[in-house]
Amino acid sequence: MLNQINILIIGLFLSFSCFADSLQSKHVEKTTGITTWEIKTQGVNFSLTQILPEQAKAFYVNRGFTLVQTEAFASSCVYMTVMRNDNAPGTVHFVKSNWTVLANKKPHLLISVDAWLKKLKKQKVNNSALLAFRWAQFPPEQEFEDGGDWNQGMLSIGLPAESIFDLIVRWDINGKAYKTTLRGVSCAK
Amino acid sequence: MAKLIKQHCGELVVLNKKHIQTLLLTLVSSTILFVSGMSHAAGLPPLTHNLTVIKKPKLAPALRLKNMDDEFVDINDLKGKVVVVNFWATWCPPCRREMGSLERLYLATQDKNVVVLAVNVGEDVDTVFPFMGMVNPAPSFPILFDTDGTVMTKWKVKGLPTTYIVNPEGKIVYRAVGGREFDHPGIQKAVISLGQK
Repeated sequence: MLNQINILIIGLFLSFSCFADSLQSKHVEKTTGITTWEIKTQGVNFSLTQILPEQAKAFYVNRGFTLVQTEAFASSCVYMTVMRNDNAPGTVHFVKSNWTVLANKKPHLLISVDAWLKKLKKQKVNNSALLAFRWAQFPPEQEFEDGGDWNQGMLSIGLPAESIFDLIVRWDINGKAYKTTLRGVSCAK
Repeated sequence: MAKLIKQHCGELVVLNKKHIQTLLLTLVSSTILFVSGMSHAAGLPPLTHNLTVIKKPKLAPALRLKNMDDEFVDINDLKGKVVVVNFWATWCPPCRREMGSLERLYLATQDKNVVVLAVNVGEDVDTVFPFMGMVNPAPSFPILFDTDGTVMTKWKVKGLPTTYIVNPEGKIVYRAVGGREFDHPGIQKAVISLGQK
């Protein structure tokens, strides 16, 4: 009986430690239904907020795209991504191509910004619109100093509407690898 | 700026339709940005107020670009002054949010040997000018145009906004990646003290 209580206490302690170390939250905007998933872990804050296809289309039409040119990206399960180094033990460095999307327990490759640009150039999107597209994306690679460096940008997951996936986000600090997983994220309708 | 307003007023009479289109597009895009901004969790990501100290300062890359009056501004002509170089775009939500605080920093430091240059990426005067009127307080520092992104590439910008602070010797001594509250006392103090060294 005593052993069982001890195991229970240790289990509870470990669960609490993991929870405290890596807090994931979900927020649904009442009026729009747009959902945000956010995780705070190891001094890093990371969040994904759904961008509805119509929002993405409107954004890029205003940057010089035609409606047809916006279709593929807008329907590729796009998120407003925020990553911030609040108080990690050093400079957070990431390469986005190292991140993994897991859908139905299978890894799914993120479409790179360069691949999108190549595709859009074939559709004859004009140069200023391409420039806006490039810089509106979450950076392919970045360094965030502790104390508040951050970025906000779009991230295309490349899955169909309403897909559910986990995103494994990886970074390193002075060569030491870190990761966190945002679980149960869903693509907008 | 007076020249620009005159120019714009003149164009309003002649090219009324074009300007109405520009204003409508700006209003629509602002609404979209506002809605998407509002949708972020329970609130917007906070603007932070730390500057990263560059441990081994190097000379700032070249920066010679046209301003809103179509005149060139060259950072080389600003040696001896502290120069705050902010890379931004009107469609970038944190860039929009920090712009008012950048103006407050400018107002607080313009008589202290400090210059602020806001380098817009990939847009034109017709897009930027209406946006300026929406910022409170409206920016009075020079807005420069990096129309093809060449300068930001030389400055190794990886995401918008990014701000560099160049000391009077022309070396980059601070960097800030992401939106900041530039009127925060800590940032103001750091900038002013550079100008007084």
